[in-house]
Amino acid sequence: MELRRLRVVHYLNQFFARIGGEEKANVEPRVIEGPTGPGRAIQNALGERGEVIATIVCGDNYFSENVENAVDEIIPLVYRYQPDVMIAGPAFLGGRYGVACGAICKAVKERLNIPAVTGMHAENPGVNLFHRDVYIIQTGPSAATMNEAVSKMVQLVVKIAEGEKIVGPAHDGYIPRGIVVNEMTGQTGAERVFEMLLAKIQERSYESEVLQPKHDRVVPAAPVRLIEQAMVALVTDGGLVPKGNPDGIESVGATRFGEYSLQEEVALKEEAFDVCHAGYDSTFVKQDPNRLVPVDVMRILEREKRIGKLYNKFFSTTGVGTTVEDARKIGRAIASELRAEGMSGVILTST
Amino acid sequence: MLAKEIERAGIPVAHVCPLTPIAIVVGSNRVIAGVKIIHPVGNPELPPAVEKEFRMRIVEKALVALQSKVEGPTLF
Amino acid sequence: MKLELSVLKITDVKFAHKTDIRDGVLFLNGEELKELLEEDGRLRNVEVEIARPGEKHRIIRVIDVIEPRSKIEKGGPNFPGAIDVQGVVGYGRTCVLQGVGVVVTEFADMVDSDEFRKAVDIVDMWGPVGDLTPYSKLNNIVILADPADGVSIEEYRVALKIAGLKAAVYLARAAEGFPPDEVMVYELSLDREIGKKLPELPGVAYIFQILSTQFNPLDGDPVLYGENVERIVPTILHPNEIFDGAVTAPYGSIFMETYFIQNNPILGQLYRNHGKNLRLLGVIIMNAPNNVDECERAANMAANLAKHVLHADAAILTKAGGGAPEWVMMRTAQRCEQIGIRTALAFLHMGMDVTEPTLKPTSLFYAPEVDAMVSMGTPVGSLKLPRAEKFIGRFKAIGAVNEGVEWPIRRIRGSLSQLGNSRLRALRY
Repeated sequence: MELRRLRVVHYLNQFFARIGGEEKANVEPRVIEGPTGPGRAIQNALGERGEVIATIVCGDNYFSENVENAVDEIIPLVYRYQPDVMIAGPAFLGGRYGVACGAICKAVKERLNIPAVTGMHAENPGVNLFHRDVYIIQTGPSAATMNEAVSKMVQLVVKIAEGEKIVGPAHDGYIPRGIVVNEMTGQTGAERVFEMLLAKIQERSYESEVLQPKHDRVVPAAPVRLIEQAMVALVTDGGLVPKGNPDGIESVGATRFGEYSLQEEVALKEEAFDVCHAGYDSTFVKQDPNRLVPVDVMRILEREKRIGKLYNKFFSTTGVGTTVEDARKIGRAIASELRAEGMSGVILTST
Repeated sequence: MLAKEIERAGIPVAHVCPLTPIAIVVGSNRVIAGVKIIHPVGNPELPPAVEKEFRMRIVEKALVALQSKVEGPTLF
Repeated sequence: MKLELSVLKITDVKFAHKTDIRDGVLFLNGEELKELLEEDGRLRNVEVEIARPGEKHRIIRVIDVIEPRSKIEKGGPNFPGAIDVQGVVGYGRTCVLQGVGVVVTEFADMVDSDEFRKAVDIVDMWGPVGDLTPYSKLNNIVILADPADGVSIEEYRVALKIAGLKAAVYLARAAEGFPPDEVMVYELSLDREIGKKLPELPGVAYIFQILSTQFNPLDGDPVLYGENVERIVPTILHPNEIFDGAVTAPYGSIFMETYFIQNNPILGQLYRNHGKNLRLLGVIIMNAPNNVDECERAANMAANLAKHVLHADAAILTKAGGGAPEWVMMRTAQRCEQIGIRTALAFLHMGMDVTEPTLKPTSLFYAPEVDAMVSMGTPVGSLKLPRAEKFIGRFKAIGAVNEGVEWPIRRIRGSLSQLGNSRLRALRY
């Protein structure tokens, strides 16, 4: 049976589409029939396997100034061609271009269910934003490495279209997407740590298997000015939940949080709560939930007018084994509600 | 993580955490020492009334933190 | 302090009228063992079952696995303080039944709502689950027991540990008088003679974190010479003591069983190289506290012992528990590095993933001096349980461990190990 030729739509910025340089970075999205610019290299790499039926071009500034808008405009353009797959870029070190490629690929995958692949250098800002959602082929810094980049992008996108198993970043050339898996190696952990230590003492080279994280800093929010008038909310990642865990917050690797009404309670009652966090012994907290979420003393402070008001709900999730993405998602959702409610400050209690 | 996201929205967060170096490394800006992992704002070895007082001290420190200007991760 | 392990290799276990060993087969008088264990008034309804490699049997709620070992001649007490009088171990001759495991299981009708404690750790003796655990390759003697009336859950758990240790000794005693298949000699004393001739060999300490107090330690748990280690400060042990019954796995240990304390692979590596490219100096045993003050204290004291008492040039560190102990381990390593001891760490990750586009997983914490870390995997992943022909256990909710259930890898006893016997490594995809 003859394999159907894959229909490919390609996304380019104004520069690679030969429309112009920075001065044309504001051009609106438009379609060019067939391949153009690097699209020809893509067509070459595809050979008989596929056809670049259309190229969508958008100016880097037009896109970056309103990403959502640009994506909304481009999606119908892609849809019209009913492609089997989408290829964006490669963007190399072009930051705005990389972000555009990532955003388009993510949207095409999520909204149109069409596999999409892009390519860029590991330091392109698009990587941080999209590597979890999109296959990003790792490229060199400039278009000097175009052919290699195109070849890998095409290979990967064909694999996905044909339902072939993706082996992994090292083999297929894409930037790791942050999914942690275990693999069997040829040596036990004890053998490996011993050898690593020996190399270190003998001043031979060694390479750590584990890296240390670099955490970003957040500009501190302005302090509360009038605490006697402030509304303060309690948040915890110790996994305190109403009995029965009605929202099904996970005991490890939480993807959601709960908000639970305090109503007029002067303290949290033992019989009403449970702990879903699996990373610590919760006996003492279950005996007295105020040991994790200090409602009792907050009520006293409220009564004595040392704070304006305790927010009538507390927020709870599990803080063990959470992925960065989920932690951020949860944090942002809580933050947005708190901001909407005009919260002046938060006390976060962790185990 | 949670502290930083809430802080990003412009709301100051007093992070009570038993292993404060962790909170500092991750980047919470206002960090207050909790008691122990198994009871962050409690102490079951104290009689209940005394324990509540003890809890009050920690929360009061958290309030001080909320009212303080900081430049970066700070232990209170 | 010279320890000789007289190893008998066992290839099969069978119930019989008399406990004996013939041609590598362990014959077990199950009744006799059962009666011995029922002497402890805290237990009742004791049962002893056998589970052999390859059988389609699923053992449920495994809380520990112990290798049968017993002292012979004048070698000292068995598991001193736990089931025998106090005394020092680590020298003389000890019989070992290699290829056998005493598997201790726990069942209680008592409500135990702690999420972690409710976890049901299984061992399959065959199939995809069996492939993931070294315990499926052992001929296992499984101990099942209920608590006697009026016994608290803590007393029950201590009694179970004791029963496991007693069974381990009872079985290994059967090997007395038989010529061993292999004798393994553990001796550090070559220091004196050879050590003096080879002073330039770097001295290495093993910093062994045994317990994390993020979980409430069991009162009366006979972990170190028969005592719970909740309040210990870092202390020094001779590696032979670790092999010979001074230390058992604390109740509720994550990814650590007594079997691999007795067969500690890190110490195995260090001993193999002792006198060749390093000198094994000793073991610093410590726990991971649950508050900053004690963490600092423990890290400082451990590093101090390594540097100023053992005069270590280097150290290997492992940990117990979950994420918070990673902090203590890193801090201890950092303190070591700061005072001139080079460190290498081996651990399981509980850490959050980060957004950097790297193949390597990340630790939870940041300490720039600590630059040699080995990944021993991460507790992710699950698989579908195959159909078992027999369940060994009294767990009521059998449906929870039935065919087709998606079972987390971390709930398979032995699949992951804090002590380095597994070949797993975590990678990011």
